[in-house]
Amino acid sequence: MKNVSALENIHKHGLFGNYDSKDELINIREIKDVLIYQIVKYKKSSISIDKIKIDNLNLPETLLVSSNTNTRILWMGPDNWLVVSTNKEIEKSILENLSHDDFALTDLSHSRTILELEGSLVDEVLKKGCPLNLDGLDEGKCSNSAFHAITITIDFISSNPRKVRIFALRSFGESLYHSITDACLEFGYKAE
Amino acid sequence: MLYIKCPYCGLRAQKEFSYGGDATVKRPNINEEVSSEDWDNFVYMRKSPRGKHIELWQHIAGCRQWIKVQRDTATHEIFQTAKVTEEIR
Repeated sequence: MKNVSALENIHKHGLFGNYDSKDELINIREIKDVLIYQIVKYKKSSISIDKIKIDNLNLPETLLVSSNTNTRILWMGPDNWLVVSTNKEIEKSILENLSHDDFALTDLSHSRTILELEGSLVDEVLKKGCPLNLDGLDEGKCSNSAFHAITITIDFISSNPRKVRIFALRSFGESLYHSITDACLEFGYKAE
Repeated sequence: MLYIKCPYCGLRAQKEFSYGGDATVKRPNINEEVSSEDWDNFVYMRKSPRGKHIELWQHIAGCRQWIKVQRDTATHEIFQTAKVTEEIR
């Protein structure tokens, strides 16, 4: 079954804001059709996560991301991870590697809106609404925070060029989109 | 704005946190007789100290964990933070 994006009628392609005479714009795209699973290790469980592999990736430590071309695993909190994948077999891989007695698995594929921002001015956009100190939050890191009071998760995909993915609850997707694009107007942005 | 050091995520802005009240209040033991006065004290009665105070905060827009924060209620200076299972001395 195909998920209908919360930005289906919101995200319009084109150039917006102060894009004239700008060498570098911010690129905004929506990430759709990815599988998202939340993994939570039970408090009572004493299992070590060191040897667990999902799609050949470890469950990452604090504020880190494990990734390959198809899958990214984000640290969400103590004993809590978010798996984001284009691999259609990811659920199978998770179920094969995690025991029901130690972990809870929840399919959140329908419940997130994901925006990807790319460009050297991405940090300037984030600074307009997010209280995070972005120093040191480079490639391979992630963090939860807030953008104009909307709770978000930021996945720092690449440092050069700067590329981040911003996750929000689906119901906040439209608000987040307007907040982000509003913050981008000053710099000019290209919606793809 | 206050900056609070989350024991899990590091130094973060107060915007990411939600205040959770006095961390020194102890719930009466389960399966023990509790007087109405003790229960009333546990549910309603709170001190409002001027000075150092140990509080509960939740990193609601972060790792979602509850933490303890020792804060001066007059100056807002934060002296120490700890996981909720740890003691602040």
